[in-house]
Amino acid sequence: MNDAEPVKVIRLSGELEIGRKDEIRAALCAPADGTPVLLDLSGATYADSIALTELLRFCSEAQRERRPVALVIETPQFARLIQYAGLANVFKVFSQAAEALAYLKESSRK
Amino acid sequence: MSERPSVLRVRCPAQSRFVASLRHALASFLRAHGFAGQQLDDVTTAAGEALANIVEHAYTAAAAEVDRYIGLRANVDAQGTLALEVYDGGAFVERRPMRDRGFGLRIIRAIAGRLTIDTSNGTRLRMIFEQKR
Repeated sequence: MNDAEPVKVIRLSGELEIGRKDEIRAALCAPADGTPVLLDLSGATYADSIALTELLRFCSEAQRERRPVALVIETPQFARLIQYAGLANVFKVFSQAAEALAYLKESSRK
Repeated sequence: MSERPSVLRVRCPAQSRFVASLRHALASFLRAHGFAGQQLDDVTTAAGEALANIVEHAYTAAAAEVDRYIGLRANVDAQGTLALEVYDGGAFVERRPMRDRGFGLRIIRAIAGRLTIDTSNGTRLRMIFEQKR
């Protein structure tokens, strides 16, 4: 991946919770090719395990397809939820988009 | 004597669209009683997981719509101890967490130091939190 290569950005904001399960699932739509994906969740104010399950499904599918995925999470509640669920080593989580993009760029070189 | 109510009690249909409202009501109640920061986040997260778990798993398809409810009761005593109960009239099934699902109870256990689960009449999760001052 060079600077000109694309990254698909998926943004979800607000409360990512059970009442929005269908919306979250629909938004987490991977590109048909191997384009890296930046999940920009910096605008999320809350998340629950229903949202985590959808994120995990998306990331697991991406891993099978060797598509790098990076998450941007700023909300402490969301970051702790991932720890409590025992998924800290499953997601690539960054607090800033620039760091996530650098990770995706590096991953695409490998 | 404080004018703040020390008990919050809410019961509504077990539908996903009500979970956020219940969680917001709990958060407002807890803020009024001095809960803040990470502890406020953690308690409302645990409650949200318990409520979502009921909506997702407590009731069989055969259960009549009118019988499907979620209940929440929170009580803060004079020492600032919160007793939080989330309950339903369904059938409790503790699922072993799988790789890609079933994180709710794991999250609750990680947050709530004192947790009891009573399945004698529906399911009642009771969590105790000492307020951090």
